[in-house]
Amino acid sequence: MNTPEFQGTHLWDRLCWAKECLEPYQSDYRVVFEDSIDECAKILVPDPNWMACALQGGILPPVWVYHELAKDEAQPDFKKHTRGYLLHETEPMPAMTEEEAIEYLIMKDVPQSVWQTWDEGNRPKMAICKKEQLPSTREWRNAWRISDELAA
Amino acid sequence: MAGKIIADTLETGAGADISTSYVVNGSAKAWINFNGTGTIASRDSFSVSSISDNGTGDTTLTFSNAFNNADYVLNYTNGYGASTLFTSTAPTTTAARILGYATTTGTNQDRTYNLVALHGDLA
Repeated sequence: MNTPEFQGTHLWDRLCWAKECLEPYQSDYRVVFEDSIDECAKILVPDPNWMACALQGGILPPVWVYHELAKDEAQPDFKKHTRGYLLHETEPMPAMTEEEAIEYLIMKDVPQSVWQTWDEGNRPKMAICKKEQLPSTREWRNAWRISDELAA
Repeated sequence: MAGKIIADTLETGAGADISTSYVVNGSAKAWINFNGTGTIASRDSFSVSSISDNGTGDTTLTFSNAFNNADYVLNYTNGYGASTLFTSTAPTTTAARILGYATTTGTNQDRTYNLVALHGDLA
């Protein structure tokens, strides 16, 4: 199915179209990351409906749009977004491979302090893995850490 | 888009009318039903790009379409008589961190059914 010409269409309307027309895609990839020394490892799970949008192309805005909005939100006098048009009027991303979609999602949903310096320091702060590589039970979930063996 | 209806008001046969903006503003702008046990997973959703498992009963939802501000309304239930809270992490226009907190035990708990709907203005 071809994506309609969506540039200039509100992102919410595009997502409505995708919800109606695209089959969700369940990715086996998971992103494990640590963004605080006081907390356990976190596991990012891609949403199947979002993955379908990424693989289809022509729906999602470029990731830099989210970064621009985050910069605005970080301003001390922020009250509401005034550049929301970036989400709707910027040319949408073309179709991505599953791996490209995961990279995009990391840059969108994982804190920048993690993905920009994930392999600096004494041990890795982030790892991409398959679902099967995660512990099979949630025992001691609040003590999970990324294995030091990944630092090699 | 294949078709388009442009209307400022909706009117019933009895003559009562309502602005379409009421309908648009009242719609949930994002929602998700996810399994919080095992490897957490979405059953179905809208405008959610990912969920992050932060620990027992502790989840971050990240949205595809940013909200206009962080003053949106989040409704969350997971049954079993547990109360559900925002964490000390303040919500942003693109993400909200939620806890499934069981008042009976005073701890967070993983739940099979986690149902979340968000209302507010979009960016």
